[in-house]
Amino acid sequence: MSIFDKLVNITHKGLKIIIIGGGKIGSTLADKLTLEGNDITVIDNDPDVVEELSATLDIRGIHGNGSSYTTLMDAGIESADLLIAVTASDELNLLCCALAKKVGNCASIARVRNPDYSEELSYLRDRLDISLIINPELEVAREITRLLHFPSAISVNSFARGSVDIIKFKIPAENILDNLTISEFQHRYKFNLLICVVERNGVLTIPDGDFCLRSGDIISFISTPKVAYSFFKKIHLESRKVNSAIIVGGGKTSYYLAKSLMQSGISVKIIEQDEARCTELSSLLPESLIIVNGNGTEESLLMQENLSQTGALIPLTGIDEENILLTLYALRIAPNIKAVTKVNRTNFSSVINELDLGSVVYPRHLVAEIIVKYVRAKKNSLGSNIETLYYMYDERVEALEFNISSNSDFLNIPLKNLKLKKRLLIASITRNGRAIIPGGDDVLKLGDSVIIVTTNKGYSELNDIFEG
Amino acid sequence: MNYRAVIYILGWVLVIEGAFMLLPFIVGLIYSEQQGFIYLAVSIATMLIGAIAVLSKPKNMNFFVREGFAVVSTSWIFLSIFGCIPFIITGEIPSFTDALFETISGFTTTGTSILTDVEALSHVSLFWRSFTHWIGGMGVLVFLLALLPMTGGSHIHIMRAESPGPTVDKLVPKVRETAAILYIIYFVLTMLEIIFLTVGKMPFFDAVTITFGSAGTGGFAIKADSLGSYSPYLQWVVGIFMMLFGINFSFYFLVITRRFRQAFKLEEVRNYISIIIAAVAIIIIACAVNNSMNVIDGNSWTFSDKLRHTFFQVSSLITTTGFSTFDYDKYWPEVAKMVVIGLMLCGACAGSTGGGIKVSRLTILFKTVKKEITMFFHPKRVLKIKSDNKVVNHETIRSINVFFIAYTMILASSVFIVSFDGHDFSTNFSAVVATLNNIGPGLSGAGPACNFSFFSPLSKYVMMFDMLAGRLEIFPMLVLFAPEFWKSIFRK
Repeated sequence: MSIFDKLVNITHKGLKIIIIGGGKIGSTLADKLTLEGNDITVIDNDPDVVEELSATLDIRGIHGNGSSYTTLMDAGIESADLLIAVTASDELNLLCCALAKKVGNCASIARVRNPDYSEELSYLRDRLDISLIINPELEVAREITRLLHFPSAISVNSFARGSVDIIKFKIPAENILDNLTISEFQHRYKFNLLICVVERNGVLTIPDGDFCLRSGDIISFISTPKVAYSFFKKIHLESRKVNSAIIVGGGKTSYYLAKSLMQSGISVKIIEQDEARCTELSSLLPESLIIVNGNGTEESLLMQENLSQTGALIPLTGIDEENILLTLYALRIAPNIKAVTKVNRTNFSSVINELDLGSVVYPRHLVAEIIVKYVRAKKNSLGSNIETLYYMYDERVEALEFNISSNSDFLNIPLKNLKLKKRLLIASITRNGRAIIPGGDDVLKLGDSVIIVTTNKGYSELNDIFEG
Repeated sequence: MNYRAVIYILGWVLVIEGAFMLLPFIVGLIYSEQQGFIYLAVSIATMLIGAIAVLSKPKNMNFFVREGFAVVSTSWIFLSIFGCIPFIITGEIPSFTDALFETISGFTTTGTSILTDVEALSHVSLFWRSFTHWIGGMGVLVFLLALLPMTGGSHIHIMRAESPGPTVDKLVPKVRETAAILYIIYFVLTMLEIIFLTVGKMPFFDAVTITFGSAGTGGFAIKADSLGSYSPYLQWVVGIFMMLFGINFSFYFLVITRRFRQAFKLEEVRNYISIIIAAVAIIIIACAVNNSMNVIDGNSWTFSDKLRHTFFQVSSLITTTGFSTFDYDKYWPEVAKMVVIGLMLCGACAGSTGGGIKVSRLTILFKTVKKEITMFFHPKRVLKIKSDNKVVNHETIRSINVFFIAYTMILASSVFIVSFDGHDFSTNFSAVVATLNNIGPGLSGAGPACNFSFFSPLSKYVMMFDMLAGRLEIFPMLVLFAPEFWKSIFRK
């Protein structure tokens, strides 16, 4: 690195990242990662995409083939820290990553979504020396499976290898939580849980003891899955597992989802329009699965397939509008049905939020969470490593998990004596596999994993949460 | 249109201009000249006015192409108006029109002067005059982009509107860092030139002002004979540095980042150097054939003198600087004068501090014509125009064509208006070419040994517009004439 580079880099904290493919996920990543202060170069083979992206984001756009040596050199692969390949083709993505390793010796992330490779991902990763392989469809399927296990929840985010969850739900009308302050609630029920965030009329609050809950509030609490289960029982929210599901659309996500739902004993129907795809699915998936060839947006077909008696409807067509309409229709004819809607685009998200769809899954966010977490962790190799990142409440809240793996001066000091930044909450400390909801006298220790809920953005290590 | 954001940026531009005006004040202290305090007062006033606009940052900083254009054109106008106030107050250029002309000429790096006696100016004003070249060369908004942390990616629109050239390539992903790199390269080259000149025993004040003039490719000199009285070494240094400042700055970035092969393959830079060599050769041969340039002002010139002076003139004209070492209008034959006009129109590389149509635009225009001709022979032929082995997309070609048309139209109408003054065609035409391309001197009555004070106020205002249009590459200035622009202001 020359003196010149150093001059320019004085104020520079971010990573140099090359993103290949400026599609839905590529552009979301470019947007998020630029805002976190990284240097982004996007390569795409469509000049219009490059033009559009470089006019709207503070990035450098290059028109070309991302797997070509010349293009990669032009994008500065030699000094890059990370390459993310998210083109439409799995093979191209893998090739780009392999090349990145050989040419620039930089870390790489590939999107690979073909089910043919899904069993071999870790083999591919090791062999090709790729840091991370992500499969958005598989992530979506996992997320939906998790939601079907907690049907009353709008969303479930797991931390510390599943030992703690942050669960979001809406307080129904005339619930016993209505008109209860947080301290009364703690006093009366003595659950080992903590209410982290409350959204009322679009306003987010990190509540204190005097905060009064109302029906209609959307609240997130943190606890172990077991406590959450008994809590839902206590407040009379249905929490029995769903036992049957209809999936509309037979894409890759449906394949992964059907497989994982059937493994957990849920009976699944897939409605798919394309006959060839139906045949294919039928040969790929076990026989107990019902595959229906027909248009899933026809009311008569849905009736025929007994929608009103089904536990869950999961519209996974490629068209957001269809998915949303299907959910609205299902909730109308069967108010107790659990619907999980997949929304690909993030435009008009404020309108979608007002629709009361229940659980909504944004594949883009799921991928962004994983990659942004990876980038933040890579940015600093200090003592506390970021382990998990979730965007909550339409990206207005971040929930982060840190592992304390080396000594720091904030350890072993009671939390009430530490100066924390505003608008953040230490939600839970996991020590030796046990989750603690922390009070003022608790301390942080070496080896703990700490969960932070905050409306501030961009924390990449535990030190960031302290004042000064 | 987001006026709050435009005004906010305008405020910052004035604050920065005010800060820059403190430098002449320091010069005033060194030479103990009274005028320095006038600059101090104007500086403080400018910063205060700017600060009013800066104090409340608008929440909505959404910036699109139209805001980018609006902010660039209005900034340059305000910059010039505030920049000319010291000239008026010090009484050195009492008329507002003349002071504004001189300042616009400075900021747009034109270097056309209305002063009849440059050497009568105080050091302070001479410094400020030359310093406006340095500010204008790279652009004050690019400077602002390097300083001001702005969120969102939309400020690329500001950069695009202010930087010369058909396309703006970011050197690195972030606008702010790109701007910083450009200014670092600019600054380092400037320092180098000052050092080379001081080594050649040029007085320090001269070295600094001449360097500002050549760095911004401006051309304000501090002596009546421009650079004629300096030693051959100094003339070589200035000639070479002018040429260097006319090269696309991405060339330097590639060199610094050790991508030499890529750097020397840049088509535009190669063409630029070829044009310089060809022009020097043609002029020397033409002079030899016509037996001119043998005896100048009573001195007989050797071949090395001829080479030096010709190279200096060519370098000065193609980069649109406008320094001169002798009155070529008097001694060069007609062929050489046509080469002069050609060089003036051609201009330097895109992404440099020079003006003109730009070598890259001309290269693409030339290729478009060539393509059109081959299409007569093979009407169904599919042929994409390439530059640096990359396909030039249709949008870029279209914008270059439109630029050329708009450029020609402005040139023609300006010549028409200026001709009301009653001067000869050569004077009118070369004066408009010299201002529209930000060069400085033209031919005949507007030649290197003359100044522009004899033009009528109307012609001066036309030329002021031409200078701004030339520096900002026409469209940001034309936006000011769009009815939509004013309608949306007065509708509120």
